[in-house]
Amino acid sequence: MSESGANHKFAFYLGCIAPNRYPGVESASIKAMKKLGVELVPLKGASCCPAPGAFGSIDLAVFYAMAARNLVLAEQMKMDIALVCNGCYKSIWEVNHKLKHNKDLRDAVNEVLKEVDMEYKGTINVYHTAELLYNDKFIGVEKVRDSVTNPLTGARIAVHYGCHLVKPHKDREFEKEVMLNTEHPMWMEELVSALGATPVEYRNKMQCCGAGGGVRGYDIVHALDITNEKLINLKEEKVDALTDICPFCQLQFDRGQIEIQEKFGVTYNLPVLHFAELLGLAQGMSPQDLGLDLHGISCEPFLQKVL
Amino acid sequence: MVEKKKATTKKTESKKEDTKKVAPVKQEVKKQAPAAVGSTAKQEARIGVFICHCGTNIAGSMDIDAVQDASKAVPNVAFVDNYKYMCSMPGQTVIQKAIREHKLTGVVVAACTPRLHEPTFRTATKDGGLNPFRFEMANIRDQNSWVHMHDRVGSTDKAIDAIKIAVAKAALLEDLHPKSVPVEKAAMVVGAGVAGMQAALDLAAAGIKTYLIEKDMSIGGRMSQLDKTFPTLDCSQCILTPKMVDVGRSEKIDLMTWSEVHEVEGYIGNFDVTIRKKARGVMTPKEAEAKGIVGGGCNGCGDCETACPVVKPNEFEIGMKPRKAIYVNHPQVVPLIYTIDFDSCVKCGICVTACGPEKRAIDLEMKDEFIKVKVGTVILATGYDIFPIENKLEWGYKRYENVISSLEFERLICASGPTGGHLVRPSDGETPKRVAFVLCAGSRDNTGTGKPYCSRFCCMYSLKHAHQIIEKIPGCVPYIFYMDIRSFGKMYEEFYYRIQDEGAKFIRGRVANIIEDKKTKNLHVMTDDTLLDRPVDVEVDMVVLAAAIQPAADTNRTRKLFGVSCSMDGWLLEAHPKLNPCGTTTAGVFLAGVCQGPKDIPDTVASAEGAASAASIPIHMGEVELEPYFATCIEEKCAGCGMCVNLCPYSALALVEKDGRIVMNVTEAKCKGCGTCGGFCPGGAIWMNHFTTPQIVAQIDAFLLGGEQ
Repeated sequence: MSESGANHKFAFYLGCIAPNRYPGVESASIKAMKKLGVELVPLKGASCCPAPGAFGSIDLAVFYAMAARNLVLAEQMKMDIALVCNGCYKSIWEVNHKLKHNKDLRDAVNEVLKEVDMEYKGTINVYHTAELLYNDKFIGVEKVRDSVTNPLTGARIAVHYGCHLVKPHKDREFEKEVMLNTEHPMWMEELVSALGATPVEYRNKMQCCGAGGGVRGYDIVHALDITNEKLINLKEEKVDALTDICPFCQLQFDRGQIEIQEKFGVTYNLPVLHFAELLGLAQGMSPQDLGLDLHGISCEPFLQKVL
Repeated sequence: MVEKKKATTKKTESKKEDTKKVAPVKQEVKKQAPAAVGSTAKQEARIGVFICHCGTNIAGSMDIDAVQDASKAVPNVAFVDNYKYMCSMPGQTVIQKAIREHKLTGVVVAACTPRLHEPTFRTATKDGGLNPFRFEMANIRDQNSWVHMHDRVGSTDKAIDAIKIAVAKAALLEDLHPKSVPVEKAAMVVGAGVAGMQAALDLAAAGIKTYLIEKDMSIGGRMSQLDKTFPTLDCSQCILTPKMVDVGRSEKIDLMTWSEVHEVEGYIGNFDVTIRKKARGVMTPKEAEAKGIVGGGCNGCGDCETACPVVKPNEFEIGMKPRKAIYVNHPQVVPLIYTIDFDSCVKCGICVTACGPEKRAIDLEMKDEFIKVKVGTVILATGYDIFPIENKLEWGYKRYENVISSLEFERLICASGPTGGHLVRPSDGETPKRVAFVLCAGSRDNTGTGKPYCSRFCCMYSLKHAHQIIEKIPGCVPYIFYMDIRSFGKMYEEFYYRIQDEGAKFIRGRVANIIEDKKTKNLHVMTDDTLLDRPVDVEVDMVVLAAAIQPAADTNRTRKLFGVSCSMDGWLLEAHPKLNPCGTTTAGVFLAGVCQGPKDIPDTVASAEGAASAASIPIHMGEVELEPYFATCIEEKCAGCGMCVNLCPYSALALVEKDGRIVMNVTEAKCKGCGTCGGFCPGGAIWMNHFTTPQIVAQIDAFLLGGEQ
C-alpha cells in the first residue's frame, strides 16, 4: 500500500482527445479508479502517443522515438503506464514491447533520445484502464460491481471494443486469456453487467468505428459511411447508449453523428459514453462532474433512464 | 613452400609426442576393459581426413584449402584429401584407396551429418579393409557452413576445430562387432483406420501374424464417417467395407477393438507390448464360449439397444443423432459387437434381460483386461482429430446454428446419416439454396489461433461437397471461398474444372467475418475478393467450414510409449522427410497415414503399404543387427551399488551375483548406448563402447588444447 492508500499506482497517460474533447474521461478515470484502489498519477511532460495511423504510416523512426520518450518519462517515475485510449495503447504498448525485444531498434531509438538526455531502459509495462478494471490482479469485475452505488438498471448498453486494444491477435499478450478472443470478445459485456446495465450484442460488433488508421483524416465521407453502418446496426437493437474504451472512437460516434446528420441527413441521437464515464455514473458521480454536457449528442435520455 | 615444410616437421614431432603420451593411457584402459571389448593390437594411429565440398554447400562458405592445410598439422593425421562429393562413388573410392596406400587405422570424413551419411562412409571404410567402426564424422555442413553462411573466416576455423576433435576420437577408436538378435515373427499396428487396416492386411498377406489395436468400438476410422470420396465420387463406405470385412475375417490378423496400448518394452525384433482391453460390457461369442456359455455371446441383434433407457448424443454422427448407453455407433461396425459406455450406463440391467438367458452376452461387472503380446515391429497409424474450429470466433461456429463443419456436412449428406442424406439447415430444417464453403478454416493460418500448415484435403472435399449439393438440390448454388485451390493429385485438377463447369461460384479471399441475420438465421459471408479487389458480402443459407486437422488427442502419449519424436506442429516425425518417410528414429517403429502429417486417402493407403513393407523386412530377415554401442561392466571395479540400474531408461541393467559378489549386468540388446549409466557410475566401472571415457576426454582436450594433447 502506498501513502495514498492505493493498492496500485500508475503513471496516467492522457493522450490528446480525452483532455481536449472529453475531459470527463480524465476526471472519471482518476476518481473512479481511486475508489477501486488504483491511483492514477499524471504523467507530466507527455506528448502525443503518437497516433499510430497518422505518424506510424509516415515515419516509423519518429513514431518510435516519440513513443519511447513517453515511456522514458514513466520509467523516470518508476511507474507502469495506464491509459484510456486504444490508439495510445497501440503506440505505447507496442513500441514498449518492440523495444524490449529488439536490441537493434532499442539502440537506434536511444541514439535519438540522447539528444534530449534520455535513455529507454525497458523497465515498465503499459496497461489500458479497461484491462486494469477486468484483471483481478489489479481490480477485477467483482470489485467493480461492489463499487456501484447507482446501478444502471434497465439500460440497454452496447459495447464498441475498437480495434487497436485487441488486434492484431498475434501481437497481444493479455494476462487474462479471454481478452485474447480478438474476434468475438465478451469481457467488456461482463463489465457492463457489473454496473447493473444489460449488455446488448449487435450485428458486426467488431467492425471499426471508421476513424482509425488515418481514414477520418484522409476520407471523412468514407469514415462516416462505416460509422453510419454501425449506427444502423445499433439502432436495430434499440440500445440506450453505446460505450467505448477509446476517445477517438467516441469522437467518431458522438460528433460523427452530427456530421452524418449534415452529410447523409440521418439522425440517431444515440448517447455515446466512455466506459470510465459509465463507471463514474454508476459510482454516483454527477453528469456535470463527468462533463457529459460537453458531448456532441445529448446524454439526457439515457441519464433520465438510469438516474 | 618454407612454411609448408615447417608444418610437416611440426606434425612429425607432435605425432611422436602424442604417441608417447597416449600410449600409456591406452594401455591402462586395456587393462580395465574386459577382454571382449576391443582386441586390436596396439598400433600407431594413422588417420585419414577427407574433406567434402558438398558442391557449394560447404565449399561456398569456407576456405577448403586452409582447412586441408590445418588438418595436415593435426597429430596422428597421416593423409588429407578433399573432394567435391565425398559420398559419390569416386569419393568413396578415394577413401578406400587411401586406407590401403597409406595404411590408415582410422577415417575421418568432414562433411554432413552421421544421420545422413554415416552408413555410407562406414561401408566405404569397411570396403577399404578397416573395421567400419574405425570411422568418425566431423559435421562441417549442417552445424557449420549452413549456419555460418556469411562468416567465411569463422566457419573455416570451426571446421578445423571439428576435424581436430574427430581425429582425436578416431585415433582411439577400436574394432567393434555388431550383434544380431532374432526377430519375433509378428507385428502390431496401432489404429485401425484405413491406414492401419491397409497395413495390417498387407502384413497378413505377407504371412505375418498381426495384432491390430483400435481404441474405438469399430475399425474404419475417419473414412467410415465420409459419404463420397474425391475425385472418383465412389461411396466411401462401399470401398471401405470390403476391407473392414477382410480385416475381421483374416486369420493372420488378431483384431482388438475397444483396446489401447498400455505399455511397451523392448527393442526392434522383441517388443513386449501390454494391451489394455477396455471393459466393453458385452462378450463376443468366443469370449462367451470360454466362459462356458455355449452358443451365447453378442450376435449384434440390437435388442439391448432398443431396451436401454439412457440416451446420449452419438459421437460418430457428431452429436446429430442419439445413441443409447449400450450401442454400436453406425450400422456397418466391424466387429458387430455392442459396447457399453460405462460413463453413461446406470446399470439398471434392462439390457441384460433383453439379451436373454441364451446369449447372456452382457456382463455389467466386466473389468479391463491386460494382454501381453510380443512383436518384432510396430506400425503407428493413429490418425487425426478435427481442429476445434469454434476457436476461430469470427466464423461463429457453435454460435450461429447454420454454420457447420465439413465433417458434419459429410454426415448430413450421407444416406446413413442423421437426416437420411438430406442436407438441411439446423435452424429450421429447410433445404438450403445457397451454401458457402469456407476453405482453409484454421489451416494456413499464421494468426496464432489456427494451424500454419495446409491440411491437404480440404480443397478437394469442398469441391466434392459443391458437386454433391448441385447434384442433390436443384438450383442450389455453392459459393467456394478459397485462398488457392490445391488440386495436386491424379485427376484432381480435372475434377476442379468439372466443378467449375457445373456452376460452383469461386471467390478468392480469406473469409474475414460471418454475420448472422437474427431474423432469418441466414449468414453474411464477408471477405475481400482479391481477384476483383473489392470487399464482398454474400448472403447464404448455410456455411460449411472446411476445418483444419490436427494430431489426434493422445498423440503425445503414443509418442512417449514408443519413443518417437514429433515435429513442431505435433505430427509424428519420420526418420527422413523424403527418403525414409515411413521409418522413425526408433528402430522397428514405423508410421502410416495421417499421424505423420495431413494426407488424403490415396496417399494414406500408399503410406500404409510403404510402412507395411518396411515393417515386414526385419521380420522376413529373421534377425537384425544391433549397433554395438552397449554399455559393459568392468566387474573388478563394480561395487554393486545399483545406482545405474535405477537410472537406465531402457531397463537394460540388472544386478547379478557373480563369483560370490553382486555386480551389474547389461542386457546388450536392450541397451541403446545412451551413456546415462556410464556418466553416472561413481566407480568408473561402466565402459561405453564407441563413447569411452578416454575417447571423450581426448575430444575435449583436442578442442581446448587445439590438438596438442
